[in-house]
Amino acid sequence: MVEVNTPVRDKPKRWDLPFSMDFTNEAERREMSFSDLNDLFAKKPFSEMDASRFPDSLPLASIVANDTRIRLYREGDAIVRQGDYGNSAFLILDGDCRAIIEGLDPAQLGRQAGHSKSLLKSVKGLFTNALAPEVRDSRLYPQHRDKAVFDPSGTVFVQDVPNILELSPESYSEARHNIIPEGSLFGELAALGRVQRSVTVVAAGPGTTRLLEIRWQGLRDLMKYDNGLRDHINKLFRQNGLKGALQMSPLIQAIDLDEDQWDQLLAEAEFETFGSYDWHGTYQQLRKRDEDLLTQEPVVQEEGQYPNGLLIIRAGFARMSQRHGAGEYTFGYLGIGDVHGLQELMHNVSTDDNSPIQTTLRAAGYTDIVRVPTRTFEQVIYPAMMKTWPDGNFPEKFLGETMERRKREFSGAPMMEFLAENRYINGTATMLIDLDRCTRCDDCVRACASGHNNNPRFIRHGKIQDHHMIANACMHCADPVCMIGCPTGAIHRSEGGGEVVINDATCIGCGTCANSCPYENIRLVNVRDQSQDDALMVDPVKGKAIVKATKCDLCVDHHGGPACVRACPHDALTRADMDDLLDLSVWLNR
Amino acid sequence: MLFRTRRLLSIAALVLVLLMLTPYAIGYRIAFSDVVVTSGWLLFAVVAFLSSYNLRKKLTYPPLLKSSTWLQMHIYLGIAAMVIFLFHTSGKVPTGHLDIALYALFTLMVASGLFGFYLTRTIPTTLSSRGNEVIFERIPLFRRQIKNRVEQIILQSIEQSASSILAEFYKSYLMYFLSGPRNVLLHLVRSERTSYRLRHELRESDRYLDEQDKVLAAELDDLIKLKDDLDFHYARQGLLKLWLFFHIPMTLVLLIFLVAHIVLIYAFTSGGS
Repeated sequence: MVEVNTPVRDKPKRWDLPFSMDFTNEAERREMSFSDLNDLFAKKPFSEMDASRFPDSLPLASIVANDTRIRLYREGDAIVRQGDYGNSAFLILDGDCRAIIEGLDPAQLGRQAGHSKSLLKSVKGLFTNALAPEVRDSRLYPQHRDKAVFDPSGTVFVQDVPNILELSPESYSEARHNIIPEGSLFGELAALGRVQRSVTVVAAGPGTTRLLEIRWQGLRDLMKYDNGLRDHINKLFRQNGLKGALQMSPLIQAIDLDEDQWDQLLAEAEFETFGSYDWHGTYQQLRKRDEDLLTQEPVVQEEGQYPNGLLIIRAGFARMSQRHGAGEYTFGYLGIGDVHGLQELMHNVSTDDNSPIQTTLRAAGYTDIVRVPTRTFEQVIYPAMMKTWPDGNFPEKFLGETMERRKREFSGAPMMEFLAENRYINGTATMLIDLDRCTRCDDCVRACASGHNNNPRFIRHGKIQDHHMIANACMHCADPVCMIGCPTGAIHRSEGGGEVVINDATCIGCGTCANSCPYENIRLVNVRDQSQDDALMVDPVKGKAIVKATKCDLCVDHHGGPACVRACPHDALTRADMDDLLDLSVWLNR
Repeated sequence: MLFRTRRLLSIAALVLVLLMLTPYAIGYRIAFSDVVVTSGWLLFAVVAFLSSYNLRKKLTYPPLLKSSTWLQMHIYLGIAAMVIFLFHTSGKVPTGHLDIALYALFTLMVASGLFGFYLTRTIPTTLSSRGNEVIFERIPLFRRQIKNRVEQIILQSIEQSASSILAEFYKSYLMYFLSGPRNVLLHLVRSERTSYRLRHELRESDRYLDEQDKVLAAELDDLIKLKDDLDFHYARQGLLKLWLFFHIPMTLVLLIFLVAHIVLIYAFTSGGS
């Protein structure tokens, strides 16, 4: 029974906020009109879709009305940028677009140039740091830049496209600068596979280019109920993405496959997605409700089932568990390129046995897998393995996780449970502090501050498992959900080491990244102007303080790696790659 | 590398260096050379290097080896300095005022170093096993929050029941307990006597409380435990910071005395011979 004081609210529904209303910039919010929809249904591929194939609960018209939005771009506007993460695809309604594969430098895409400070500059900085917090040199902000111009929505306008193209040795018609004609769909592989955009696409005009942006949920449903679109995207994926996905696996890299075997593998492998791309939102809600995450995670392959193929993780993470009493015991997790079910398949093929899967595999957030069917494994991969290792001594690193290996390398199931449960498995530079050695001297915090104009970029505070703390410092995630939705591309992976960094000059302080970060490791700060006696910067129109997102940048522009690690006198702090469990277990068990 | 392995290697290296120095020193004595000058300069060099660790901490960005590597060198060279010092002084207390002061300073320096080493190796474990991890600078804020919550509870108790038992308890015990860091010395020796007595007293009064006040008393009990944990962290984290305020400034004083010692030796004894 609902008590009198309990606030009654409708259960949130999928389309509470249509995609067309989901803009940071208020001016861009506009619901899809009846004429917009009519116009869309007159164009391919919607005109060819059979609405009767869609279920009543998910009608085609509702998908288009709620999961798509119309966007207008001027000639030269960047629509997607190479290296960005995005969860939507684009259909060109009017005009053309141009894919630019090479020729743009990071500054033209609103990113910071990836250069290190000189040693002298680093040392000088120690003595010239500002006294007030978050002081900036306003001369570096967009109005002083010459290569890119930012409108209030954050769209980057690449001003000099023709010149960039002229500088390139290839002509306009060459593959490097392809024209994408009206009616084409692009960006679907990055949206569905949660991989970085491989090219920059700019509006090529003439005049205004009109695009339909389709968010991945809508695209997924359109593919599900429309065979034409599904076949088209599957074909594209098989052409462009599948071989690369398979080659992410060290096992596939190690074995020698001839052309026929590759053809068979590419023709028979299947790709599947489990969980939700926007797992961070769901994760945050579940944590707030204190729900058991494990039971909410979709099962990819269940313990005790017949192994119906070799699973290769293409993107995301998966948790491995085994039944233990009334619950389940987490003993490992898999990341990109890892395989599941290999030992069982090998056992079955070599003994004619029918051994079931030994561990349950669940999507930790979301998992994108390539499934090599059992028959294909038996006909292609196993013979190739036997050819590569005729004595049957397969290197352990290719065989995937086993309980024995995990117990040997990683003492303590609670730590594994803790890492998987809190999704720390996502980190490639997670800050771990051994509290049994940490003297709380804060040398790490001071070192961090001294390299960032007196502003520490992390908090020595966080969740604790036994005597190990995961501090609130950016983990430079393998799946950086903070990068999704950044309107200016200010948050991006650095050119050199792939660290997730924020370009302060192009950050508009919208807070999308901070809200998306499931670990609360991005903070919004009010900035001060160095040229105005460190006074707070204020937007003259709205009268509000100017805000920027800040976080750990792993000291990417300094020499010698993260200052926090180098500053710890007691070896109590490390930045751990959660994909390298061997290294992690060595550190934990020193 | 395991800490155990590193420790064994460092000790082996230290013993090896000291063993190598011993025949050198004995040879000097046999040759009637003045070993005091050599050991004195060696000691000065080692002390100067040990002092430079604090400078390294300030220079964050030049890649000058990790701070933990410096600390290891600091510890083992510190031990070496003790041995060289004993050799230099022949294990006897000097007679001059300056030399006595220098002797005392060095001894204090070594003692504070060993004490600090003991603290840094023992206190962190006690802090992590106690739980309720807190940043030292935030302790006053949390203390205030606890105090405010306790006062709310007491006011609520006064409003909702006719009894003044909790209010009396607050007045007699909690007001003082909550108004600042308490039982610092007791926490340093890991005694929980005071908080135990406070909570025991509260539980004893439970039989006089009505049901509503019992709920409030249970929350008070939790808050007393929380405040005690804060005091524990305050005392122990504070000590970890405090010893450095002794050790580091004394380094400077020691260096000044060392320089004065060297100047006087050279001024009045023709280079110590």
